[in-house]
Amino acid sequence: MSWFIGVDVGGTFTDFHCLNELTGEAFVHKAPSTPDNPARAIVNGVEAVAERLKIDYAQLRRLAHGTTVATNALIQRRGGKVALVTTKGFRDLLEIGRQIRPHMYSLQEDHPEPLVPRHWRFEVAERMTAQGTAETPLDEKDLSKTAEAIKAAKVDAVAVGFLFSFLNPEHERKAAEALAKALPGVHISRSSEVQPEFREYERFSTTVLNAYLQPVLARYLADLGDQVGKLSDKIQIGINQSSGGLMSIGRSHRFPVRTALSGPAAGAVGAIHVAKLSDRPNVVTLDMGGTSADVALIRDYATDTAHDRQVGGFPVRLPMIDINTIGAGGGSIAWFAPDGLLKVGPTSAGAVPGPACYGLGGREAAVTDANLVLGRLSQRGLLDGKVALDEAASRKALQPIADRLGFSVERTAHGILAIVVANMVRAIRTVSVERGHDPRGYALMPFGGAGPLHATDVARSLGMKEILVPPAPGILCAQGLVVSDLKEDFVRTRRTPVTAAEAPAMTKVIAELSAEADRWLDAEGVPSGDRVATLTLDMRYVGQNFELPVKLPSAALPDAKQLARLFAAVHELSYGYANLDAPIEVINFRLTAGARRPEAKAPAASKAPAAAPTPVGRRPVYFRWEAADDTPVYRRDALLPGHRLQGPAVIEQLDATTLLYPGDSLVVDAAGSLLVEVQP
Amino acid sequence: MTDPITLEIIHNGLRSITDESFIALMKSAYSTNIKERRDHSCAVIDLHGRLIAQAENSLPIHLASMWGLMTAVLAKVKVSDMNEGDIFVANDPHVAGGTHLPDLNMAMPVFVDGKVMAFVCNIAHHADMGGMAPGSMAGGMREIYQEGLRIPVVRLFRKGEIVQDIFDLLLLNVRVPDERKGDYFAQVASCRLGERRLKEMAQRYGSDVLTTAFEEIVARTRQRMERAIGSIPPGTYRFADRMDDDGLGMVDIPIVVELTVGNGRIRADFTGSAPEVDGNINLKINGAGATVAYAIKALLDPDVPNNQGVLDVIDVSAPEGTVVNCAPPAATAARAHVCQRIVDCVIGALAPAIPTLAVAAANGANTTAVLSGIDPATRQRYVYLETLGGGFGGRATKDGKDGVQVHITNTSNLPVEAIEMEYPLRVESYGLIEDSGGAGTFRGGLGLRRVVKPVGHEAVFSGTGERFRFAPWGLFGGKDGKPGRFQRREPDGSLTLLDNKPAEVTLTPDQAVVMETPGAGGYGDPAKRGADAIERDATSGKFSSDYLRQAYPKG
Repeated sequence: MSWFIGVDVGGTFTDFHCLNELTGEAFVHKAPSTPDNPARAIVNGVEAVAERLKIDYAQLRRLAHGTTVATNALIQRRGGKVALVTTKGFRDLLEIGRQIRPHMYSLQEDHPEPLVPRHWRFEVAERMTAQGTAETPLDEKDLSKTAEAIKAAKVDAVAVGFLFSFLNPEHERKAAEALAKALPGVHISRSSEVQPEFREYERFSTTVLNAYLQPVLARYLADLGDQVGKLSDKIQIGINQSSGGLMSIGRSHRFPVRTALSGPAAGAVGAIHVAKLSDRPNVVTLDMGGTSADVALIRDYATDTAHDRQVGGFPVRLPMIDINTIGAGGGSIAWFAPDGLLKVGPTSAGAVPGPACYGLGGREAAVTDANLVLGRLSQRGLLDGKVALDEAASRKALQPIADRLGFSVERTAHGILAIVVANMVRAIRTVSVERGHDPRGYALMPFGGAGPLHATDVARSLGMKEILVPPAPGILCAQGLVVSDLKEDFVRTRRTPVTAAEAPAMTKVIAELSAEADRWLDAEGVPSGDRVATLTLDMRYVGQNFELPVKLPSAALPDAKQLARLFAAVHELSYGYANLDAPIEVINFRLTAGARRPEAKAPAASKAPAAAPTPVGRRPVYFRWEAADDTPVYRRDALLPGHRLQGPAVIEQLDATTLLYPGDSLVVDAAGSLLVEVQP
Repeated sequence: MTDPITLEIIHNGLRSITDESFIALMKSAYSTNIKERRDHSCAVIDLHGRLIAQAENSLPIHLASMWGLMTAVLAKVKVSDMNEGDIFVANDPHVAGGTHLPDLNMAMPVFVDGKVMAFVCNIAHHADMGGMAPGSMAGGMREIYQEGLRIPVVRLFRKGEIVQDIFDLLLLNVRVPDERKGDYFAQVASCRLGERRLKEMAQRYGSDVLTTAFEEIVARTRQRMERAIGSIPPGTYRFADRMDDDGLGMVDIPIVVELTVGNGRIRADFTGSAPEVDGNINLKINGAGATVAYAIKALLDPDVPNNQGVLDVIDVSAPEGTVVNCAPPAATAARAHVCQRIVDCVIGALAPAIPTLAVAAANGANTTAVLSGIDPATRQRYVYLETLGGGFGGRATKDGKDGVQVHITNTSNLPVEAIEMEYPLRVESYGLIEDSGGAGTFRGGLGLRRVVKPVGHEAVFSGTGERFRFAPWGLFGGKDGKPGRFQRREPDGSLTLLDNKPAEVTLTPDQAVVMETPGAGGYGDPAKRGADAIERDATSGKFSSDYLRQAYPKG
């Protein structure tokens, strides 16, 4: 017997999803988070789970962990003190960035100050050219003077970023080695290792963030490793990266920035897993929690990869699952704009004080309050009554808004939900148009605590006909972690024209990448039979400034004509046109390597369902604002594969509530997911 | 009356339509200007030509063209003569509401129940619109005829069918017609997406509800602006500033504004501004209006929605034939420079009335650098173009930002690695200019210095600088920022000062061009600058100890 555990640490709860590798048996657990030391909740939870399942720690094979330690350190500016060593003439580059303002019309808003103050940004004489040749040698004297100055500054970490180091890392490597020697105990990050890619500002910014996070992550991971190690030295710990794969603790030490968006990435991986079990290759995910909603597009069971994101106000260039976040959650607050229009979010009441109904001092009406007064959420509260909800408090918070509108509280609450839905619809439309897809051909998969409450309205507004509610919508991220693979991305920037003559040069770059990937797979102990690799080329028409990723059908390089055709197809999808005759070039070669996992298989359909499920109660629910429908309430665990329900109905489970509108119907599929058919 | 909830949802839906149209246009266009610099806009306009919703990332100056275009369309074609599937195009500033020729404007009527309910419009800056020089943006021309093809309001599509004769004429007059064709069709696709989505919306709500909502959205925005303007003490406020030159020998070009504030409205009168100039910095009056609207919105309420309600509270006037209200055939390609100065004037005029919202003069320019030559490796001609940021003005509670695009422009720089991979050029350094921000309680931002030289060949440098003579002014006792300049570094290391708008300066591989953009003015008495702030200026090395001793004697 061997178990995999996925642990997703959130602001309020730490979620556990345990999977028996052999039997497919699954178990979920939720425990309060311990923000002062997240490792404690993890270890306590693992102990609780082992006790519940009556298993020995030695049977725990892998602990896959999605962590917000890096994200929080960044948002709260609790990272280390960092120095930057860069090419002579360019120490201000990190501060200038792209020379743009965050808001076109604001005279007051600025991008945040760089994480390295100017007097800790040191210049060293050296220069590589665009051909990767050293035009000016690395000045060792400059370097040793710099090392002295950095020593005096007593920083925790140093970032090294030189121009064109993605083509020739020689100077950066030498500098990093010399600095490591001169500065024992100081973390060193160099840009040619963190993300050896074209465009210096984004590369340096990513490297500086990495250095900034190193001291914090190093402390946390050491602690986690120690504590888990005490339970059993057999447990392999995998840390989730923003690209949706796992990395070892060792690599996480070196590249903490890769964990900066690991939470939402796990959700997308979990969603793909659920989509496979239910045979739904094209899905729009809607992960709605307390403060925000994450939207991702899954096509043919795969998400797109994005490379540029802002994290804590700084650009990060790394492979990441393409997810869009909007300020719409259960805690989003309703307010009047100066023009008298009612708005909802992006300000959130958070977990504390939370919506008014939490009774923790929140006075403003939030989305959860609206759901409560409409009977959509149970007055018994969340998490099976562990978090009590006070409907009177919700009404009190909604009343002033209702008075100003001249509406009943119910109509006001209904309006608040309509607005939050409109905000999500707008985001999904934007994401779809941007990616060249029409959401009507997709199923909507809501998850997170609040997703299934709002899914029908969102689907109907977008003309989507089907909703797929996973078995455990509230802990899909933890489930995604369990099914995550070991994964690592390797990249080389080599600007190469796509011509027959360049094929050998391209093959050589790919061979280099493969060798690098093999070294990593060896180090991680992945048997050769389990290894998988995909090759992606970032290509563009000569003269364009931005590239499009083109995933190759196999790890072998197709000929130039075939490459041109593949690129044209992607260009067509993204931009609506393609030109087969225009010259093309490759900018980046990317290899994603990992360990193969057994394909997801749906649990064997259990016996045909017995009699129709019986409701555990009834309550009035306002699907419309005008009047409530008397609505049966079902327990989710009473809904078995094959069961059908006709709306109206409310389905409640530990961590989520699903609404079935009058006129809509649902069927429970073999995997235990609810398939809701939405009437247009 | 539409209730505030339905209105918010309709408004949200309209913005969603304009945003989607904006993305669709960006995705399918060919021009770098559209694809990567996002020099385009999309809008929904009502039956009377009023702007109802504009895409979030639209540029301020495009507000003028949307408004101008629709005024021109409605003046020329009766709504009853329009057909479903018609698409109008235009670009001319003098007869068709444009602001400069590369901005190609399109409008399409949206029919519901057999009647025009609204229009969808878009604007896109094409990489070329014909004329004497590639790009249709170069200086040195005195008439709009030289700058490019002038298009009055014409139908490009009639009842859904392309008017091929017109299209052939348009394409024959531009360079790389295949690419421009792609840009035209990107705009057409964007119109049609907007049309489809607006019709879907009308189906859901009914066109009566929508047209009522249009009225209310504009009315609410107007009331919001009126209230915001109400925070300015009523009165008359004046300010005068000067442009350096027009690039063709005219210097000291005054821009003068008198603002009359009262009853929730602002009247901006530019009488006293210079007559129109030979160079290409002339502006049409609708451009001046949009620029004043930008300044008022930025000062008072940056989050107010971009619709007619913002424009409606502002009246703009200027004698015809001036640099802010030019007459045909004045050249207009570089009108953005005058826009930047108008922003400074409006802020300068209102500063005494709203001191906490005002900011000192920013770098006030759209500093442009162009290097071109023959790449020795490929024997191909290359043209490298860039606009550089500079200092942002000191503010009531904080220093001005260093090295950033200001006011009506917000375009990215090109990475050093991109420049060197793409062109036979070497960027020697790129950084902030020490001591270039004006002293103040809150100092002005620093300008940018970029040093570039050709590699292995002779290159030609042209540029457009402003505030190279008239420094960005300080406010309330704050000191002026340092002006910008272009210099050539000679083989012996000495520096030769170039013109403010140099044309075709030769650079050999042992020479380099040193571009320095203006800093910005400081805000408030330098004597009140906090000791910690002065300390920070010293520690960061952004200011020399000499400068600090002189600027803050007691500090």
